[in-house]
Amino acid sequence: MKALELSGIVKRFGGVAAVDGVSLEVAPGEVLALVGENGAGKSTLISVACGLYAADAGTVRAFGQDLPAGNPRFAIDAGIGVVYQHFMLVGPLRVWENVVLGREPRLLGFIDRRRARREVAQAAERFGLSLDVDAEVESLGVAAQQRVEIVKQLWRGAKVLILDEPTAVLSPREADDLVRTSRALAADGRAVIFISHKLREVLAVADRIAVLRRGKLVQVTPRGQTDAGQLAEAVMGAPREAATADDAAYIGAPRPRPARSAPRESDTLLQVRDLSCQSSRGRPALRGLSFHIAAGEILGVAGVDGNGQAELAEVLTGLRDASGGLSLAGDAAFFHTPASARGAGVAHLPEDRHRRALCLPLSVEENLALGHHRRPPYSRGLRIDVEGRRQKARDLISAFDVRPQDPLARTADLSGGNQQKLVAARELLGGAPPRLVVAVHPTRGLDIGATRRVHGALRAARDAGAAVLVVSLDLDELRAVSDRILVLFDGAATGEVPPDTSDDVLGRMMLGQEAARA
Amino acid sequence: MNLILDFAPPLVFAALGGVLSERAGVVNIGLEGMMRFGAFAAAAGSISTGSPWLGLLCGGLAGAAAAGVHALLSLRFRADQVVSGIALNLVALGLVTYLLQAVYGSPGVSPPAPALPRDRYGHTAMAYAALIVPVLFHVWLSYAPAGLRVRAVGEHPRAAATLGVRVLPLRAACVLGSGVLAGLGGAVLSVGILGQFDARMPAGQGFMALAAMVFGKWTPLGAAGAAFFFAAADAAQRQLSFSLHAADLRLEGVFLALPYALTLLVLALGIGRTRAPAADGVPYDPEGR
Amino acid sequence: MPDLRARLFAPARDPLWGAVLAIALALLVSFVAIAASGRDALAGFGDLLSGALGGPGPLGETAIKSAVLVLTGLSVAVAFTVGLFNIGGEGQLIWGGLAAAVAGRLDSPLALPLSLVAAALAGAAWGALPGWLKVRRGVHEVISTILLNWVAIHLVHGWLVAGPLAAAGGGASISIAGTEPVSRAAWLPRPLPGSRLDLGFPLALLIAACVWFLLTRTRRGFEWRAVGASRDAAHASGIPAGRRICEAMALSGALAGLAGALLILGTEHKYPGVFRTGYGFDGIAVALVGGGTAAGTTLAALFFGALRAGATRLQLVGIHPSFAELIQGLAVLMVAAPRIFQPLLARLRGSSAPAASAPPVPTVQP
Repeated sequence: MKALELSGIVKRFGGVAAVDGVSLEVAPGEVLALVGENGAGKSTLISVACGLYAADAGTVRAFGQDLPAGNPRFAIDAGIGVVYQHFMLVGPLRVWENVVLGREPRLLGFIDRRRARREVAQAAERFGLSLDVDAEVESLGVAAQQRVEIVKQLWRGAKVLILDEPTAVLSPREADDLVRTSRALAADGRAVIFISHKLREVLAVADRIAVLRRGKLVQVTPRGQTDAGQLAEAVMGAPREAATADDAAYIGAPRPRPARSAPRESDTLLQVRDLSCQSSRGRPALRGLSFHIAAGEILGVAGVDGNGQAELAEVLTGLRDASGGLSLAGDAAFFHTPASARGAGVAHLPEDRHRRALCLPLSVEENLALGHHRRPPYSRGLRIDVEGRRQKARDLISAFDVRPQDPLARTADLSGGNQQKLVAARELLGGAPPRLVVAVHPTRGLDIGATRRVHGALRAARDAGAAVLVVSLDLDELRAVSDRILVLFDGAATGEVPPDTSDDVLGRMMLGQEAARA
Repeated sequence: MNLILDFAPPLVFAALGGVLSERAGVVNIGLEGMMRFGAFAAAAGSISTGSPWLGLLCGGLAGAAAAGVHALLSLRFRADQVVSGIALNLVALGLVTYLLQAVYGSPGVSPPAPALPRDRYGHTAMAYAALIVPVLFHVWLSYAPAGLRVRAVGEHPRAAATLGVRVLPLRAACVLGSGVLAGLGGAVLSVGILGQFDARMPAGQGFMALAAMVFGKWTPLGAAGAAFFFAAADAAQRQLSFSLHAADLRLEGVFLALPYALTLLVLALGIGRTRAPAADGVPYDPEGR
Repeated sequence: MPDLRARLFAPARDPLWGAVLAIALALLVSFVAIAASGRDALAGFGDLLSGALGGPGPLGETAIKSAVLVLTGLSVAVAFTVGLFNIGGEGQLIWGGLAAAVAGRLDSPLALPLSLVAAALAGAAWGALPGWLKVRRGVHEVISTILLNWVAIHLVHGWLVAGPLAAAGGGASISIAGTEPVSRAAWLPRPLPGSRLDLGFPLALLIAACVWFLLTRTRRGFEWRAVGASRDAAHASGIPAGRRICEAMALSGALAGLAGALLILGTEHKYPGVFRTGYGFDGIAVALVGGGTAAGTTLAALFFGALRAGATRLQLVGIHPSFAELIQGLAVLMVAAPRIFQPLLARLRGSSAPAASAPPVPTVQP
């Protein structure tokens, strides 16, 4: 009997079909990978399968039983468990509380704490997942939090485990662990659905691979009958004519890059010496970091999330204080405020664009003016130059193909990709050409079109002579855009390497092993 | 010190009401209005039935009804919660004044209402309740399954929803509960302390209760403690101005202002970053992406 | 045609229409309520209207009340712009009124402008304080402004006006006393005979226009709106968010302070011993109904002012004047639930409406 059967699922959002007639099934003991670009419908399909959304058409059956739609309880009771990309954990609560929430073991009407803690600890141990059941979830690192999510499902007796882009936030080593865990779960008799857009990973973990494109199921093939190239074609939908390095990187196929000669010292635009600073929690985030970026160079920064990259970006953009030496274009001074950083020619594409880069309730035009609004063409003296601002907005919109092409549209209504293009347009072309561009996870959550544009914009800034710093968790992205890659571990650099360095070496450097080469 | 036990219960119950609603993630600025409805309904109920206990019941129900409107607007229609609370206060202000005039023909006070009996120490049952209920609330919030769910729903409703917790009904229940508590608080004012309804009730105590909730970091024991502290400050102020013949010096105003100023000072110095539940005030959309 | 329908049913997107709709609905509900209670609703509303607009006398009453509401409403709207909820209008108004009463004792042609400035400064200080507390100490402004209201009420009414600043020879009867009267030079001139309409009304409208210009057409106003939309994003873009918040709160307080000055210099001519206004709280209702915009606020202020002026006439049909407050509360309730309309409209159109979220705090639209 099939563990999970989806038949003819259709789900629309405001007239657009996110999932259009998809039928899929998984058997116990197998790992099914679900592959597709962002926006292909993977997350929507899963939300329907687990009962969070009600499908507009089609049925969901678990172990032969029809599941009524719209209530996650039925799916949970039927044994379907989902580990989401964005964790569904309640921060201030403890690990065990998060795991048993909704199904609390009772003793005389109250929660049986002892039993709860014991059961959670046992469930974690059984699958080799190390966890402190009493820790507050918000104090845990990302990989640990993911383990909590997995234990949460296992404790509930999940017989179908759905993992939504689980390795997006993991280091290569942690990702390998996860692949092993997934196979172990399958061997234990569970059905695992592994959603990812990283083809090499998928080929390592899955028994069968299903490809979604624009809401439709394109193919389902056993692992042995396909390879990365064929899968890439299925995902993209067109024969790969002259795919750019971006495309290849995006879908994980390796592609050699022309080597760039090391920059001369005199070209140095950004010099950082012995940089140290603290994190928001008061612990050391950067410890004596030193590096430099030449004019017309892109430096990629690799590292597992939480090793100082975020703080580095903040120091460079005036959002955090630090000690040590920093000089941009010869001016040796730290930026104490974002305003002074901006004044010195620093552009910032922040990690969390909703929080740091965009005022969502304002219009596109207003967001395009942000940061440069005190000068022409946005203002004339103390007054806003409405016409000038409007025209400049139109220019920026068309330069970056932001949709909808309406300067008065509400920024909150734009898709993630268009919002990021807006930010890039503003930072790179909105005012005077920047001298230093700091981009953090610039294409996270973006589809291939938007990714291409953002990468192109970064390259254009580099070609115009700026120093560009790109922080990313995606090694393939770093390889695609960087001229050199700096690896951070625990607040210091473990080495600077060329972009064609292998995953293996990079992975080890990200986990602390110093690089052997210069 | 007897005064404290007398004057604290309205604040305590209203503050607990605030905690219940906000821990579940629904901002409740309408405590003042709910107390007002409760105070009037309690007096009216007590007058018409002759029993202050039935009056108390009416007070609680009236508070719940008012809270029901707030819940409807905030949860079902996802209106802005602060605005809804303020609207509730405004409606309560006008409607109750109107009803006082319409039902009892007097713009100032209602006729005397049978009041709660006092024991040999001079305390009503509600005074003791004000000591016990916060503890019960704390135990429930920390150790009962429903309490855990309420805490989860106030911090990360979507996480709770994925585990099958029904967010909106739970929040609605908490808002109604907070209305009952605030209504009871108001009822104590008219039927427990004064023995009639006064058109000015609750004279800002609903807002004081909000301050107590914030002061108490959104915990039942903290909020109740803060409420007792405020009541104590109030009582002290009365003692002081009485004994110093401050009336002659026309310094009443300074003493009256002192508790509020002190609260502000403590808020400014001690607590600094007040941390409300993370999802407090954010409307929950079941199908939000 | 479909355009009109969309505008009619999208009050969250179009604040002016929202204000008109909310007011109309509140009036409708009240009309029905009065009629249902057996009283003569038509006559009642007729009296209301005549009390508000029938002749120079009533028009004057409406004007002076509206003027004060315009200012307190703008006060709240300006605070909304930076994302803060200023409930402290009452306290700011009180300090402003007191400052005007004291400065107005000066017997000189400068008395009037000086008093207005003094009132604005006093209000600004009482408004900047919660702003500073929020920025530097993270104290939630709803709590701090409520507390400061009570501090103001008690300090001014219970101490200053009753004690040090009381008029000499006021005697034991506090209710008649108050401060020394202001000099004639400080009175707001009344151009219309037979009416209490004073300079305050055109002044308030002028200020409303200035505030509109400030918020929508200047760099500073843009920065305030950015801060209100997203403090983090504004900060990251180089805007000194904390400073902007304090500035806006100072202006917010100053506007409320000026409202107090209008009351003192236009009507009372001294700070009275008993001064129960409620204009500060009404300002919140006005700003909410007006959708946080300068234009909407002015419109709502005119409506509420007329309501207040005409309310006393309601007694002629046996309705307590507090009914006016009820209508006000209803109007705010209507504004609080814009979503009641959206699903309805969507159903009429036959499609599933996406969950467009109204901003949590009304922001100023250009």
